[in-house]
Amino acid sequence: MKKFKKFVCIGAASLLLLSSLSLTACSGGQKEFVLRVASWEEYIDLGDWDDDELIEIDNPYDEEAGGVIGVNSMVEDFTDWFNSSDYGFDIRVEYSTFGTNEDLYNRLSLGDKYDLVCPSDYLIMKLLAEDELVAYSDEFLDAEADNNYYAQNVSPFIDGVFEENGWQNYAACYMWGTTGIIYNPETVSSDNAATWDILQNEKYNRRVTIKDNVRDSYFPALGILNKEELLSDGLTAERRNELLNDTDQDTVDAAERILKGIKENVYSFETDSGKADMITGKVAANYQWSGDGVYIMDEADGDENNPTELWYSVPDECTNLWFDGWVMLKDGIAGDKNKQIAAEAFVNFLSRPDNAIRNMYYIGYTSSIAGDMVYDYLDYNYGAVFNPDDEYFDDEMTEVCQYDLSYFFGGDVSLYVDASQLEIPDDAETISQTLGSEYGNDINYTVYTTDDISRGRQAFAQYPPQSVIARSVVMVDFGDRLHDINQMWINVRCLDIKDFNPAIVWTVVAVVVAITAAIILYRFRYKIFYRTPKEDK
Amino acid sequence: MKLRFNRSQLCIPYALFLILFVIAPLLVIIYYAFSNGQGKFTFDNFIGFFSSTNTLGTLLYSFALAIVTTLLCLFIAYPTAYFLARSGFKKQYVLLMLFILPMWINFTLRITALKEVLTLLEGNISLHPFLNSVIGMTYDFLPFMILPLYTSFLKLDKNLLEAAADLGANKFIVFLRVTLPLSIPGIISGITMVLLPSMTNYVVLDMLYNSTYIMGSLIGSYFSAYDWNNGSMISLVLLVIIFIVTLVTNRFGDKDSDARRTVL
Repeated sequence: MKKFKKFVCIGAASLLLLSSLSLTACSGGQKEFVLRVASWEEYIDLGDWDDDELIEIDNPYDEEAGGVIGVNSMVEDFTDWFNSSDYGFDIRVEYSTFGTNEDLYNRLSLGDKYDLVCPSDYLIMKLLAEDELVAYSDEFLDAEADNNYYAQNVSPFIDGVFEENGWQNYAACYMWGTTGIIYNPETVSSDNAATWDILQNEKYNRRVTIKDNVRDSYFPALGILNKEELLSDGLTAERRNELLNDTDQDTVDAAERILKGIKENVYSFETDSGKADMITGKVAANYQWSGDGVYIMDEADGDENNPTELWYSVPDECTNLWFDGWVMLKDGIAGDKNKQIAAEAFVNFLSRPDNAIRNMYYIGYTSSIAGDMVYDYLDYNYGAVFNPDDEYFDDEMTEVCQYDLSYFFGGDVSLYVDASQLEIPDDAETISQTLGSEYGNDINYTVYTTDDISRGRQAFAQYPPQSVIARSVVMVDFGDRLHDINQMWINVRCLDIKDFNPAIVWTVVAVVVAITAAIILYRFRYKIFYRTPKEDK
Repeated sequence: MKLRFNRSQLCIPYALFLILFVIAPLLVIIYYAFSNGQGKFTFDNFIGFFSSTNTLGTLLYSFALAIVTTLLCLFIAYPTAYFLARSGFKKQYVLLMLFILPMWINFTLRITALKEVLTLLEGNISLHPFLNSVIGMTYDFLPFMILPLYTSFLKLDKNLLEAAADLGANKFIVFLRVTLPLSIPGIISGITMVLLPSMTNYVVLDMLYNSTYIMGSLIGSYFSAYDWNNGSMISLVLLVIIFIVTLVTNRFGDKDSDARRTVL
């Protein structure tokens, strides 16, 4: 009985300790709603910008700032904004991050609860198919209502793609982009960078990198596999879509062979190290998402010791058009109306043009938000025609390209971009035009009016032209083929015993057997080699 | 009331820990290893492991990597530990400190630094993936080989060496007949501490751009591909290998020399 008492004592003490801990954690949060948000690492403005990073454009949302600048983190700003608005309740945001879509999915299936997450297109499809998502409310989709920044500002292009795929009621696009090749034009010729073949081009043996995930490897492998048909005239969009979403076992096997060849040719399968390796010049070309491409080009330009001009190429065959979107999860929201209001407010706050610009500046990706203010930001970054009094003005630069962005902004919108920042075909049409009269200065520019651009620098990577969009494909979820394609990927990465040099196989086996035998012999040497001494009996 | 605990009660925290974080996960692994995606009992994963040339190739590659790493560690650590234990008293601790010092820094940081050094030496490190992995692992695990060897040399009775020399053995024979046999427990525990972890330490391979999977990365890739059943089966096979190796080696130790005396 004494023992039992002690036991009870310990139990009671630990219970007390635990409950007091959990009490302190709960107290103060009685009327506060917690919004659990999960997004990619480094995918939102964390604030703390230097004063000289101020983006000098008209900002109707914050007149005093004189532009757009991130002082506090986006999440803090949202919490302040929400709690000072008349929603009738206060919230606190629990913001966590994930590294890959698979990581997020694994966490969700293990029972982690989030209200609002930002996965990529294919995971949105998977979650939608598994009936895990909460539809956005009608109020959210109403462009007339106040504070509905997403519905008011989202690009017609994004809206169209989302509607086409049936996501528009369940997902609100955050960032989007293409996939392509970042390359150093000094070591890689433009022709070589114009095709996915560069990944298996022996000229760049061990000097190209590829992403360490199955989807970003399978896509270029399909591009290589179907190169001829993809480049042929008269290829319809349906056929292109079909070719690049082909998951037949024969295709998967063929892709496996291609990827095994690529494995022998690349510098690394990287998840994040590719950025640094590209900037420091360890590799000459790098499979990349457009947003990270912008980041890499910015960093390489600004490298004090060794500034390098890197370019971004969208291969002529095809590119993977991808989207990351905010979706609300049934498990997290659990029918709570207030939670849904808070989650929708979060999306709307991020979609407010000044905040969209802050996030774009901070992470380098392309926001789904269009509208005048975002156009001003583009003009501020990439516009070639501006005030001659400005310190960055370059009067040598008289060749510009009229870069058509109508598809994204709607209507008839274009931007004059420095032509040296884009690879313009030799036979492109030019006109001579006087521009800049709004700045009180008339300069005669040679203006290229082509849309046929496949390589360029930041402007091109961030906002691809219509011609690139035309050969882009959304790579849908693999569905029930996922298992076989994952197995293909594992096969690529494993050494097949059949591919080994037999001499090595037998040597290793012999060494293992020899070591095991030696250990066993040593262990049981008394039983085997010595006679049992007679005295012992 | 006085709170006094007897020994078995003091073990409760550890027992709880053991049940929660060792035994329960092990049962979960066994469950997943012998069931399919629908939760039905099956041997498919087991058969799949031994019939796939890819997993066998990976097993072989891991063994090759681990054996080469262990041999290299032993080759470097044995003389180092020997001279460390033999050197004058004052220097000894400074020297030992020099070997333990790197262990205070997180190994990913050390490997990142090593990557730059290797790049400087080799130019393009992706041309020698196997060599780099061996160097990285050796760098990582060398202290684990030195320490047990060092302690076994410290325990070595100098009288035995003198006696052997008195009886006419030259230095080489003294080493071969006295020092080497008495350091075997150290060698064995060094090997177990290097061989088994280096079969699964895939972070080193990832960081040094070896794109070939070893057992650790294979398990990881199955788990991130939502295939917990195959991942668990590979873990289980690895666990059995580890279990066999420890079973064979665990009785080596100080008792060994005593046993020999009674036998002779």
